[in-house]
Amino acid sequence: MVVLEEPLKKIIKIKNYIDGDWIESESDEKRDIINPAKLKKIAEVPEGCAEDVKMAVDAASDAFPSWRKTTPLTRARYFFRLKELLEENFETLARVCTMEHGKIIDESRGEIRRGIENVEVAAGIPSLMMGYNLEDISRGIDEILIKQPLGVFACIAPFNFPFMVPLWFMPTAVATGNTYILKPSPWTPLSMVKFMELVDEAGFPPGVINMVHGNVAPVQEILRNPEVKGVSFVGSTHIGRDIIYKEAAATGKRVQAQCGAKNHLVVMPDADIESTIPSLLSSFFGNTGQRCLAGANLVMVGDDEAWVKSTLDKIKDAASKIKIGYGLEEGIQMGPLQAEHRKERVLGYIEKGVEEGAKLVMDGRKYDSSGYPEKCFLGPSVFEGVTTDMTIAREEIFGPVMSVMRVANLDEAIKTINKSEYGNAASVFTNSGKTGRRFQYEVECGNIGVNIGTAAPMAFFPFSGMKDSFFGDLHGQGRDAVDFFTESKVVIQRWP
Amino acid sequence: MKTTSQLLSHHQSLEETQAGYHKALAEKYPEHADVFNKLAKDNRRHMEMAQRAYREGVTDAFEVGFLAEELDPTNYMLEEPSGDLATTVKTMISNEEKIIEFCVDAASNSSKLLPDVPETFERLVKRKKRSIEKMKELA
Repeated sequence: MVVLEEPLKKIIKIKNYIDGDWIESESDEKRDIINPAKLKKIAEVPEGCAEDVKMAVDAASDAFPSWRKTTPLTRARYFFRLKELLEENFETLARVCTMEHGKIIDESRGEIRRGIENVEVAAGIPSLMMGYNLEDISRGIDEILIKQPLGVFACIAPFNFPFMVPLWFMPTAVATGNTYILKPSPWTPLSMVKFMELVDEAGFPPGVINMVHGNVAPVQEILRNPEVKGVSFVGSTHIGRDIIYKEAAATGKRVQAQCGAKNHLVVMPDADIESTIPSLLSSFFGNTGQRCLAGANLVMVGDDEAWVKSTLDKIKDAASKIKIGYGLEEGIQMGPLQAEHRKERVLGYIEKGVEEGAKLVMDGRKYDSSGYPEKCFLGPSVFEGVTTDMTIAREEIFGPVMSVMRVANLDEAIKTINKSEYGNAASVFTNSGKTGRRFQYEVECGNIGVNIGTAAPMAFFPFSGMKDSFFGDLHGQGRDAVDFFTESKVVIQRWP
Repeated sequence: MKTTSQLLSHHQSLEETQAGYHKALAEKYPEHADVFNKLAKDNRRHMEMAQRAYREGVTDAFEVGFLAEELDPTNYMLEEPSGDLATTVKTMISNEEKIIEFCVDAASNSSKLLPDVPETFERLVKRKKRSIEKMKELA
């Protein structure tokens, strides 16, 4: 099997990027970045500290007045240049993503493409940022709405999409005239390091886009610093709701906290099973289940036992053939979990499922990691006989585990979904337009798939989410993002 | 081959190999250099068309890692041309037919995945049939 060449040849000593320079963190503490497939150290990242963030905030604040006055057209041109550089470095970026995260190369390339699409959308900011107006709201009086940037924004990014998620936010924030601080995940910072090298090459003015590494201390400073006007976060519900949303609100910041999920995929008896199965496999086991849009509960509808059995047999047969290994080997279909403790967490849920009486019909604890060290690998697991009261049906596992539930009809499927405290995504597989419409109408989730296993919104639509999956008002991406990063100012004028 | 990435890599290797043969034949048979150079250019263009369909359309959300059936790359091996012009052309036609066979299988096995990729392979089949007609004229 072809193993693609690794772009990182030596251990990278990661620095912050502040005010247009690569500078050492004020923190002496370092964390090793490990390639989870090979268990090989590939980088060292600083744990970070409040001082680092203060420096970045100062730089971003200083850069703001001039960047804000830079015309939207000129700001857009920086993004055109960045887009070209991203295309030129597409493959390197994808391979770095696989090296630090473990996902397969196809998935990494998909992630890079999704990130670039956000840059492309931001390049359209002269149109997207337009306000509106009406003359003669009263005789001789006109009213206009203009959108203005607010200042410094920051992003606290997760480990599971180290390249794409920061780009859900930063391009729109900066294109609308704000300045920015990126805080990548301390587990997967390298994709953003490579990205920032291209930002530097694209020639953005110093201080407009900054990057600070680390874990808790930098996050606390971002949340507390009054100069930071807004925060975008993607991560767990506990952190998003109880820390980010509350603490950021204490200093009057805007917040968009995209959080946990427990996504249901409903298969109706009239679904086209042959095209449904690859969608299910990708949704449940793609990215090794580490997606906030990943399928978690498979809801089989109806009482046709033969159909249910035959469908589940096909799923299990296909899942059993998934080849596990290092994502830079081209035939590999599922990589490792990103770190050992993430695997431990998933193992805990598998044990819990067995304890609570679900039937483990495919045990992902037995697998072949194609000769790579086993610490982070896990095969696909399938539970049958899962009921809504079980822990594995309710809590986010974030790993390659499919929990199969049975319901009598569409009513019951919708009720089951709406009972969940999460509202990130849900999908239905059907050949009936009526079923599809009812599903999108009644299901309380932000991202709905109809014959789509992973309902991931494109860059020009908001990444929605509701209930415990989202805290805030305006989502990332699309028009929501333009509104989040701008203040709507209304001017009412009369010239006597 | 189980993933889209593998399909695309194998396709690239087939087209590049065939383009290399065509370039060498252009030097060996200067009287037919225009035709062989054009065929080499077509091979590279076909490779770029498929790569572009993948790179522009790939997304993390679709099923790029899951082909319907595993394909065996040894079913699509090319042969280096040798001998007189007639024999050479015969080999090159056989090679092009192998690539067509690969494109047909790749299209059908990826038809549930990124739609741009199988559609591109289907287009390549049509284009390659035209290339074969040009080759036949040489013989």
